Amino acid sequence: MFLRLVADSFTRRPRRKLLTGAALALGMAVATAALSVSLDVGDRLAQEFRSLGANLIVTPQADSLPLEIGGVDYRPANSGAYLPESDLPKLKSIFWHNNIIAFAPILEADGYLAAKQSELDAFHLGTEVPLIGTWAAQPVYLPGSGETFTTGIEKTSPWFQIEGRWFAANGGEVDRVEVRGTPGTGSGHSYVSAPAECVVGANLAKRLGIRIGDRPYVNVATMEKMASYFLCAITGILSTGGAEDNAVLLPLRVVQGYTGKPGRYRKLYVSALSKPEDNFARRDPKSMTADEFERWSCSPYVSSIAYSIQQALPGSDVRVIRRVAEGEGNILSHVRTLLWLVTFAALLAAALAVGASSAASVIERRPEIALMKALGAGRGSVGFLLAAEQLLLAVAGGGVGYAFGIILARVVGEKIFGAAPEPSLLVFVIILALAAGVTMLGSAIPLRRAAHFQPAPILRGE
Amino acid sequence: MLRSSLARCQHHAIRCSPVPDSRSSSRAMFWRIVRRLITANRGRLFVILLALAAGAAITAALLNLQIDAKRRLTTEFRSFGANVIIAPKNPSTESAFADTIPLAIFSALPNRNDGRLVDKAAFLYTITNVSPADKDTGATDPQKTIHAVVVGYGYRASDIHDLVPGTTIAGDTGGRNDGVYCEAGEAVAKRLGIEVGAWIRMGGTEGRECEVTRIDRYGGPEDNQIFADLDVVDKIINPSRVDNSFRGFPAPPIFPDRVNLIQLGVPGTPESIERYIAALQKQFPDVDVHGIRQFSEAQAKIYAKISGLLTATVVLVLILTALCVMAAMTNVAMERRNDVGLMKAIGGATRRVLRLFLTEAALLGLSGGLIGAAVGIALSIGLGKAVFGVAARPRLIVYPIAVGLTIIVAIASSYPLRRLASIRPASVFRGEA
Repeated sequence: MFLRLVADSFTRRPRRKLLTGAALALGMAVATAALSVSLDVGDRLAQEFRSLGANLIVTPQADSLPLEIGGVDYRPANSGAYLPESDLPKLKSIFWHNNIIAFAPILEADGYLAAKQSELDAFHLGTEVPLIGTWAAQPVYLPGSGETFTTGIEKTSPWFQIEGRWFAANGGEVDRVEVRGTPGTGSGHSYVSAPAECVVGANLAKRLGIRIGDRPYVNVATMEKMASYFLCAITGILSTGGAEDNAVLLPLRVVQGYTGKPGRYRKLYVSALSKPEDNFARRDPKSMTADEFERWSCSPYVSSIAYSIQQALPGSDVRVIRRVAEGEGNILSHVRTLLWLVTFAALLAAALAVGASSAASVIERRPEIALMKALGAGRGSVGFLLAAEQLLLAVAGGGVGYAFGIILARVVGEKIFGAAPEPSLLVFVIILALAAGVTMLGSAIPLRRAAHFQPAPILRGE
Repeated sequence: MLRSSLARCQHHAIRCSPVPDSRSSSRAMFWRIVRRLITANRGRLFVILLALAAGAAITAALLNLQIDAKRRLTTEFRSFGANVIIAPKNPSTESAFADTIPLAIFSALPNRNDGRLVDKAAFLYTITNVSPADKDTGATDPQKTIHAVVVGYGYRASDIHDLVPGTTIAGDTGGRNDGVYCEAGEAVAKRLGIEVGAWIRMGGTEGRECEVTRIDRYGGPEDNQIFADLDVVDKIINPSRVDNSFRGFPAPPIFPDRVNLIQLGVPGTPESIERYIAALQKQFPDVDVHGIRQFSEAQAKIYAKISGLLTATVVLVLILTALCVMAAMTNVAMERRNDVGLMKAIGGATRRVLRLFLTEAALLGLSGGLIGAAVGIALSIGLGKAVFGVAARPRLIVYPIAVGLTIIVAIASSYPLRRLASIRPASVFRGEA
């Protein structure tokens, strides 16, 4: 009888039920979309913030004090310490290896550049330029997993704009050119088969009139190699808005070769996905208890990632680039709060909509309730019947709403971040619970009021 | 109760009908019925007003918060520090700090962008000997002397961290910046073996001393630098400048006339920052004015994403709120079946009956909107405080928009009443659906 009553109420007035169900589904769809997007937004935004580039910098621990102004280091050549390039694959084997998005080692040197060989003689060394050796789209073989990870400066500094292309990973084979008449060497010159590829800063290119495809002469300014110029084939012109605009960028291996520092680098930029720092994250790990330390090192705070990098690279000093990390943390946490607030408003609005429509559906059935009571149904059984109906509606409406909501979230996610949020079971459970809770609450209030009415006046239509 | 109030109306209608010119009285009648419709059932009135006001409140709060959040976001981006640099145009190959720009530019810079203050500071760099000095005698230890970058910065409105973000490890400036105080980066402080309160001596024989009041961590080249007053660094570089100050008792500073760099923290949306830069480039063609691309580009990108996300969610919530209010109002309208039946039975024209109900809906929308929007704006002030720590500024434009939307929604949700026009009174009274 109970089931028949429930089934009857659905089949007798399908349109009415459909309307209530549709309102429910719509409300839940918006709630699903808002919730899915909010749950996903932290990760997506963290990814977006990586367009700020590296947030960690690794330098040798035993280094002398860098004398850096405006991106140029004024230390005398050969002073300071270096780190081994061979340790770099270890970065992708640390606990937070999935959070390490990119890294690029840097080795800088002073050098000279001349557009033509005829400009060079004993008294003209060319234009003084900073040389930056680094990686660009460099494949790194990871011994642990056997995979190859491609990384480089274009990923740690995404704002770099290159016209043309970056130098090839292997940088071409380098052959030397002996320049006639320079002191300390004999005369004569050799031919070059495959010159090193390099990229030149936009300001420098403009100043010296260098274009893509040119082959200027470059020399690393060390005492013993004063005379050995090498050709470099310009593959691209780089504009960064920084010190690199006046520099020549070469494959790391080339600079290592010419400065006599094979397999060494001086600075490493790391771009890592991290969680905004809170007060706990800012504490000194040395002052933490064992439990706290475990919690700290198991959260992807930028400082705990720095810590694990330091463990992996012996002799290194890993520092958080505060300017990037702090700004990112501030904005991320504020935006997150803001979105949760809006999501909460969405949930509230959805709850109100669903509650109101289920309240209305109970109100209009007052005569039916009165009739049931007049026929001897108790408050309990009437309430139970209505609750069963509403629950059925909530599950159906909530389910349909969830499906629509996921589509909506996909559209919003694709449009804004270019990636759809993953449908999550958690959202499904929350939505169903919300739908059930709100419909029950919405119908409970008119039911309570209906309980106080005497059946007779209602049946009379008063 | 409703029925009885209408019955009373009916009385009046009958009494009034014989009057020949019934125009004014029928208008009075119209409003009288509207009043009765609204006030007859207090409970129902409360529910409708609640629904409408809640809708209006959410609309107003979100609209206000959204306008404010976009503005606030641009402020948030200031935590990345300086975003515009003014530097010498063609750097000589010698060294970056040999090139200078006239300080006169600094005072000619516009102070505000988008109505908010621009952070700015002038920088002068030198590489010199630095050593810990005895507080009283000023004696230094040649063993501990190191080479370090000393940065002079000056004429700034606020803290150096506004332009070069970092965290303070120890000490604070305490607002003191009178030439004998300086701030040290973490690495250089460690190398010198100094703590907050120590004195250091910078420069050669004509060097200067200062008390380190703060040690900061930047994670950049600033960790290796000492930040001192612009005039102090100028005097280290140009010892010939007349100086009659005594340690601890600074004389009025003699301003340098050239600096290496000016850094600006320009507030505003990415477009307005672009305009600011373009204006400066036009105004000072001899120097290089450019945005720090690392931050300006990322900022534009992230700003677009966040504001897009915010707009999408707010639009969703607003649609939902409208539907919520509509659902509530439609149900109320459907309850009017009996009233409509009665009115038609006693000769009410369909158009008049409809007008009656639409007027009721509009009035309800107006009052619900007025109350709700006020609540919503108040709410958004509190919410703004919760999110950004600063109360959102109420935008007056939001108020009429929210009220207008509420009225439109209220009237639109009476749309199903059109169906009531086809109601046959007899079937209503027979209790047929």
